[in-house]
Amino acid sequence: MQDIAGVLVNSVISAALYATMAYGLAVIYGVMRIINLAHAGFMMLGAYTTFALFTRFSLDPFLSLLVVAPLFFGGGVLLHRTVVRRLPRSSGTPSMESLLLLFGVWLVLQNLAYVIWSGDTQSILTSYTLKSVSLLGVRVGVPALLVFGMSALSLLVLELVLHRTYVGKAVRAVTQNRDAALLSGVNADRISAAAFGIGTAFAGIAGGMLSTLYAFTPDFGRSFLLKAFCIIVLGGMESVTGVAAGALVLALLENGLAVWTTIPTSFQDAVSFALLFVALVVFPQGLPGLFSRFARRSAIR
Amino acid sequence: MPEPILSVKALKKRFGGLLALSDVSFSVTEGEIFGVIGPNGAGKTTLFSCLVGSLSPTSGSILFRGREIAGLPNYAVVARGLVRTHQIARPFRDMTVEANVSIGAHFGAGHRRGADARRRVAEILERTGLGERAGSLAMALPIGDLKRLEIARALATEPAVLCLDEVMGGLNPSEIVAAMSLIRAIRDSGLTVLMIEHHVHAVAGVTDRVLVLNFGEMIAEGVPKDVLRNPKVVAAYLGDDAGDA
Amino acid sequence: MMTFPRVAAAVFGVLALAAPLMLERGTLNDVWSLAFAVILASAWNLLGGFAGQVSLGYSAFLGIGAYATVLLSLNGMNPFLTLPLGAVLAAAFSVLIGLPAFRLRGPYFTIATIGVGEVVRVCASSVSFTGGSSGLRMPPGSFDFTLNYLSMVALAIAVVALAAFVKRSAFGQALAAIRQDIDAAESLGIDSTRFKLLAHALSAALVAVAGGLYAINFQYIAPGSVFDFRLSLSIVLMPIVGGVGTIAGPVLGALVFSTLQVKLLSIPALRDSYLFLYGTLLIVVMLFEPKGILGLVRRVLHRRLRRFYADA
Repeated sequence: MQDIAGVLVNSVISAALYATMAYGLAVIYGVMRIINLAHAGFMMLGAYTTFALFTRFSLDPFLSLLVVAPLFFGGGVLLHRTVVRRLPRSSGTPSMESLLLLFGVWLVLQNLAYVIWSGDTQSILTSYTLKSVSLLGVRVGVPALLVFGMSALSLLVLELVLHRTYVGKAVRAVTQNRDAALLSGVNADRISAAAFGIGTAFAGIAGGMLSTLYAFTPDFGRSFLLKAFCIIVLGGMESVTGVAAGALVLALLENGLAVWTTIPTSFQDAVSFALLFVALVVFPQGLPGLFSRFARRSAIR
Repeated sequence: MPEPILSVKALKKRFGGLLALSDVSFSVTEGEIFGVIGPNGAGKTTLFSCLVGSLSPTSGSILFRGREIAGLPNYAVVARGLVRTHQIARPFRDMTVEANVSIGAHFGAGHRRGADARRRVAEILERTGLGERAGSLAMALPIGDLKRLEIARALATEPAVLCLDEVMGGLNPSEIVAAMSLIRAIRDSGLTVLMIEHHVHAVAGVTDRVLVLNFGEMIAEGVPKDVLRNPKVVAAYLGDDAGDA
Repeated sequence: MMTFPRVAAAVFGVLALAAPLMLERGTLNDVWSLAFAVILASAWNLLGGFAGQVSLGYSAFLGIGAYATVLLSLNGMNPFLTLPLGAVLAAAFSVLIGLPAFRLRGPYFTIATIGVGEVVRVCASSVSFTGGSSGLRMPPGSFDFTLNYLSMVALAIAVVALAAFVKRSAFGQALAAIRQDIDAAESLGIDSTRFKLLAHALSAALVAVAGGLYAINFQYIAPGSVFDFRLSLSIVLMPIVGGVGTIAGPVLGALVFSTLQVKLLSIPALRDSYLFLYGTLLIVVMLFEPKGILGLVRRVLHRRLRRFYADA
């Protein structure tokens, strides 16, 4: 019984962070139909930036998120303007060129990190890193709790932006029906830049938060990128709720495995991913309807 | 009454909350030219997609030559002799016209190889008026030829039933006349033809029977002359602004 | 059909095979590495270039081949007999992951392959019978470099010839159709999953054999070297930089990379910058000439020819 409470609490906490992490990938795909592999690089850089701010200016990692978000937003817009925009536009289907191009960006970012910070494993240790509280009878680390809080806050702000601001509504419109949105006067270029900015900002803050929970190296982003991918495949990228649902499923899976099986931690990522594969075979339609967007493309009329 | 070559019963297709096809039933006799018409969004292309297997119907049955094909994947249905063209032509742009048609010959129901395939392809290119364009890249073709290519490719699969999806869309009057005679020639060579069309005159001129869909439901079926005078059909088209009817 | 590229290829092939009689060990090593790269690049190109399914997990097949060879040799089998077995194992594995993975389209498939590569690497490092992260050593015995060299070069020639054959065949046509428009291909009777699985299995098998030869050559393998993601990365970059989907492209790319590799390793300052170089190379190629070096050459030639005819 205690176990179940533990799995549930930890899953909800992880899910919020995962959702933040996955949404960054989802928004760029939704608006531009581009899979941003550099997302992993930005998460990694987010971790390192937080780390740098912490070690140089003793800035609390959670406070530094307030710096990371706008900084990475700007970085994302810059990347879009300089590189992504020059890509030959393919009508609507995700293109290999953009995938590989952003992959190249990821590699460059990794090298950048190696050069600046070396390949040594780093971590952030604050006064509260090792503290924990009891939540519904479950011991939860303070950083984890703060991460949950910040993630939930970010997602809330995101929901508000998506539904209350012009940019947000434009992003949703383009995601749902690009042509209609363009015909309605949405400036594709500006919204794409905004989407890239938002996506990169979310990658950055996700990375920043991850740095408070895990140790990291420049190779860091990869397993989290894969998780983000799993989440998007499971929950779709149309809405924050979809992403959150996918995130919850993944988090439950991971925590369940950790508690109820004896699989060593090094294996856990591998197992999560393998189980995703099994899911692809068992329910080829994936979770309701959304999956069909990736697998079989249906002619709508 | 000979066994119909295609028999659709209570076909239903749902997309989430939208019922695109509802209780559609009809039969097609071998050698017929059977038209499917209706205003935009009536479900015509969805119907074709269900027939050939690029969509799985929610429920209902599709009997092709007496055997159930509902739910089979597209390539399997093609292998049995039922093929469709696309409303918006989808040629393999980097390949020549000849190569495009060869794909149909190699992988369709005919499974031709080598010199045999080449002969078939040349034959079909002649019949569809693409003989001169055999070596051109598909991406260089004007729309009229693209439509011919769609048909040529489909014919190369050696189907028993050919489903044409708005083949006349975007054609000028003389091209439409040519298309109509091509369709008749195809039927005369032994195939059964289903065709979705917006051009009501073309439909009237070439089909033996017509089915009218509106909002996914059948509202009329019969000889073109009668169907087109059916008040329900007229209302359906006038209610929805059908531009080039 | 004696076109220039074919004559050139034949000449190079013969020269490469005769090389042990003329060149010294150091240069032979370089040719060996080049042959190795050509095999990997050309094999990958079957699925990635012809069919357009970009997999970033090919190191898995290399590793399977390498480990199959070492493990079976340690159990007494003749190393050369292990090669076909490794190939079969890799092909089987490719089908196993292909069945679910090929349900995903384009970039999603690619990301899934990154995951598979990771899973395989983690498993190889953690399981004891593969020697864990410390790797395995081939059984002591006479190792004939010349034989290994000739095998590698022969395989390279065979793979390139196979690629040329496939491209011209109906199978190759199907792959090309799948690459351009998978739904249109299916609407003409092509069972795309079956063809993708076939291409995947074929290329996996070839890569595995190369992996086996690699293991025999170096006598020692570790998960870090054969299941490395960087390796998967190079395997993809070579055909892309050279000219994805062509026959000569992967060979060109392999040439560029082998020479780069040698140069990189000799300049200490650049040794750690390979990520930056690979990344920039990818960015530049994707932005300016997605068809790679071959595409660039063709573009330049077309322009020259057009100008020539315009002036005439």
